Amino acid sequence: MKKKLIWAAEHALLVVVSFMIIFPIFWMFLTSLKRPIDAYSITFNFQPTFENFITVFRDPWNLGSMVLNSALVAGITVMIAVPCSSLAAYSFSRFRVKGRKILFFLVLSTQFIPAVVIVLPFFLMFRSLGLLDTRIALIIVNLAIVTPFVIWMIKGFIDALPVDSEEAAMIDGASRLRVIRDIVLPMATPGILTSSIFCFILTWNEFLFSLILTRRNAVTLPVGLVNFRTERGDLWELMSAAGVLITVPIFLMAILIQKHFTRGMTAGAIK
Amino acid sequence: MRDRYFPYALLVPAFVIVLATTIYPLAYSFITSFREWDLTRQRRPSDFVGFGNYQHAITEAAFQSSLWVTIIFVFTSVLLTLVLAILLSLLLRRQGPLHTFTRIILILPFAMSPALIGVSYRFMFNPEFGVIAVGLGSIFPTLKGIPWLANPNLAMAILVLTDVWHWTPYMTFMCLGGLASIPRETEEAAKIDGASSFRVMWEIVLPQMKGVILITAILKTIFALKMFDQVVTLTGGGPGISTETLAYFVFKVGFKWFDMGYASALAWVLTLIMIFISFWYVRILLNENRAIIK
Repeated sequence: MKKKLIWAAEHALLVVVSFMIIFPIFWMFLTSLKRPIDAYSITFNFQPTFENFITVFRDPWNLGSMVLNSALVAGITVMIAVPCSSLAAYSFSRFRVKGRKILFFLVLSTQFIPAVVIVLPFFLMFRSLGLLDTRIALIIVNLAIVTPFVIWMIKGFIDALPVDSEEAAMIDGASRLRVIRDIVLPMATPGILTSSIFCFILTWNEFLFSLILTRRNAVTLPVGLVNFRTERGDLWELMSAAGVLITVPIFLMAILIQKHFTRGMTAGAIK
Repeated sequence: MRDRYFPYALLVPAFVIVLATTIYPLAYSFITSFREWDLTRQRRPSDFVGFGNYQHAITEAAFQSSLWVTIIFVFTSVLLTLVLAILLSLLLRRQGPLHTFTRIILILPFAMSPALIGVSYRFMFNPEFGVIAVGLGSIFPTLKGIPWLANPNLAMAILVLTDVWHWTPYMTFMCLGGLASIPRETEEAAKIDGASSFRVMWEIVLPQMKGVILITAILKTIFALKMFDQVVTLTGGGPGISTETLAYFVFKVGFKWFDMGYASALAWVLTLIMIFISFWYVRILLNENRAIIK
């Protein structure tokens, strides 16, 4: 009897937790399908429409260019950060380089610097270089946030790989570079892929840099949300539609890496 | 000979990035913090003013208020997130279809853009057509029509709520990772000896989680100090300046008042706090690692 009661309490709690996680997301999806008049009333009984998803791509909202900006900035940031970080991670994982501890400490600490601190000097530099409101500027500052994270993550994955086959190949006379290309890379691919997706998510969701460094041309999706706050009030149905567009690709990716997620994020911290 | 430099060569690209994108800007803003540079009046920075900007900060009420807001925010959000994450990880440790389902959807709040979370909660707490505000109003009539975000304390509470919603999942994953490494034998033995499950949790499981809990707490503190997006999209720092955190205050001074010297000094105050905490974190992390690698 007591066991059954505990079972029931446990499952009731899980239902409550799941509800609290899903409800805000569900409500956003629901609102994105409502006509304006329904968005301003709390109703489940309405005629769903995809009108909002078309409106947000039209003038004056032009979400299309923001989707492009977000995708390009996040994509290119990943393409620069991940290869560079993988090499560094391999070095940290396999060699006892002099000053390794200090270097590693440097990498770990930089990821804790608040974004607002980084963006302040960059704003001044980009201003004098004429790089404000460009995608290049966004990519550069995003690298600051993402690179230390990715080094740390990929190092965790490489640490977990066995060294034997690498050593065997070295004895057979393969060069270090060949060992990396032919042996380490194929084995580390799942970890690198997970880190890449993680890095993409971080950059895609990034808000502060875009808020400060862009005005018109290079605005990304999260900042685009603020545009729906007009003199006529907040346009919730359009905001929700934009929210859905930001969220769906990220949710798909997140679920893809869900299994590796904890391991990557806490890489090595806790095993 | 070539092999000797190889490990260093691998580090070069990443370190060029780290140096150029974090160390250089930090040095730049450090120098700026000792100058007067009001972008609305000056094209170039003026001469050094010593600790003038720092003195300005210490005596300004808005700075003191933002420091206080930050302390309250960090404390409540870390405490709530931590307690919820520990409880949730203990709950999710068991196996079952509903457990698996919850673990899968747990990643969603973390993957959601914090700016969007702020917008969503602003919508849901709108007193006229926000689903939570109206929902609560119809269950508890005294709460009807409360302008949630116009009340300083309630606005702060909702700001904390968005942060807890965003971070609890990730911290739960960390605690689950920690729990997985605890050997189960003592626990089983205690249960066989007839100890209640509450006592087993309190006296056997929790003490063994100490390490994870400490790391989680420090990490969450760092993330809470960095929190910025929701202040812009949820409260805008208001009502008044009641939800202006230190990070938001730096943003306001720098990009609304365009006082670069003062903003840089404030940014460095924030950085020093972060360096202090992350130093602590990294040291614990390296010690733990040593124990694992041997």
